[in-house]
Amino acid sequence: MGGIIHWQGRKIAFRAGETVASALLRAGIPQFGQSGTGLERGVFCGIGQCQNCLVMLAGRPVEACLLQCVDGMNLEPQQWVTQ
Amino acid sequence: MGYTMNAKGPVLVVGAGPAGLSAALALAGAGLPVRVVDHAPAPGGAVHRQPLPGTRATGTREHKRAFSALMAKVRAADIDICCATGFAGLDHSGAALLTGMRAGMVRPRGLILATGARELVQPRPGWTLPGVQTAGAVQTRLKTLGTAPEGRIMLGGNGPLLLAVGAELCALGNPPVAIILAGRPFGAAGLRLPLAYQVEAARHMARLLAARVPIVTGAHVLAISQDAGKLLATVQTRRGSRDIVADLVGLHDGIRPNATGFSANVPIPVEQAGDCHVALGARAALADGRRAGLALAARLGGRGHGALPHCAVLAHERAAQARLAKIFAPVDGPKLADLPPDTILCRCEGRTVADLRNLGPDCTARQLRLTGRFAMGACQGRFCGDWVAQLAGHADLGQPRLPLRPVAIADLLTLEPDTPDGETR
Repeated sequence: MGGIIHWQGRKIAFRAGETVASALLRAGIPQFGQSGTGLERGVFCGIGQCQNCLVMLAGRPVEACLLQCVDGMNLEPQQWVTQ
Repeated sequence: MGYTMNAKGPVLVVGAGPAGLSAALALAGAGLPVRVVDHAPAPGGAVHRQPLPGTRATGTREHKRAFSALMAKVRAADIDICCATGFAGLDHSGAALLTGMRAGMVRPRGLILATGARELVQPRPGWTLPGVQTAGAVQTRLKTLGTAPEGRIMLGGNGPLLLAVGAELCALGNPPVAIILAGRPFGAAGLRLPLAYQVEAARHMARLLAARVPIVTGAHVLAISQDAGKLLATVQTRRGSRDIVADLVGLHDGIRPNATGFSANVPIPVEQAGDCHVALGARAALADGRRAGLALAARLGGRGHGALPHCAVLAHERAAQARLAKIFAPVDGPKLADLPPDTILCRCEGRTVADLRNLGPDCTARQLRLTGRFAMGACQGRFCGDWVAQLAGHADLGQPRLPLRPVAIADLLTLEPDTPDGETR
């Protein structure tokens, strides 16, 4: 069963079994946030090796390319505290 | 400490690709309990990445048949496969930390590492931009979704994978706008490859030629920039430099074993299997998985072990891959040392060529890590280590420490130190 995830409050449809990275890319969202040094970030290796696609789920960073969508899931970009 | 002697837990196999599953079968066949973990949502590894439910698989019939046969044996052997479960490492006491779905601490009596390959991608200006991915990431997407990404796709770098991904994009109705290869692989040398390789190459080339995909050989993707929502790849060809517009760029400069952070100095018997041992592809991975499984079973006193089978498959694939590497040998490309100073080397922490130069000429590997912060980010140097070492004149940057992947402190706090059966949670 597919469903809807929420990316920064925006509704994104997903297919059954799809990862968060895949659903966001299909929705035309290549940028998932920024790194601590301000670099724009998104999918790079796609298989959980590069940590480039981290998104926040319930306060924790998770690799979007390994995380399977669950209906109603709320996801946010990583926030960095800068001085 | 005596932990090792007490380790009664099932043999832990990390990676549910062909190598890991083949090793698990050999171990189970020797009468040893086995548990397989993989951080992906389903078994198969990169080569047998499973399509989403209701999606047609993109591979050939033989490819599907090979995996079905393997999975049938795995099911018959009743092997426990834990997906969505990552392996964060093995500590000095022999305890393995698992994260994700089946998080916890286990005390395996032995370990098989079958973590596959990693893609080699050369640093270039703009290689960190969103929309620039590895060719493998593009292929993973094709295999799972059964459809091609929308928009203009350019593939560049070097190696046979680029032609394979390009051909798959053609089959799915969105041929790449160009394939840029640093080598010049189209010569008579290809005829000296094993027949299976030639058949595969011919199938890919037929699709690419039918779709009139421009394949530029002896050319180099120098840089990528972003302009009004699209990507601009600067390509140096034999006739000069030109820009290619794309929405998605798939880069790939080779394959290396993904053995980052694995030390030989561990308190339980460990064997590496498949691409994480020697990157020779799926055919070799099956054979090497079996070899590793039998070798570990012998070390653990499993039944039925004896002389390891002579591995003709491995020798054959090694020779074929060596020939393939020669066929794809890059033609005088740009030098790593000539990269612009602001080129990012470490993607995780944004460390640049200039940051590396500023550390001075006689920097030790330790200084590169501790002062320079190279290979210290969340990917543990999987994507910058080769290049930083090369630029700094080192063989490597030393092995990173545990954990092999980021672990939430909350997960660590839920772990109990030890329990009689050797497992928690």
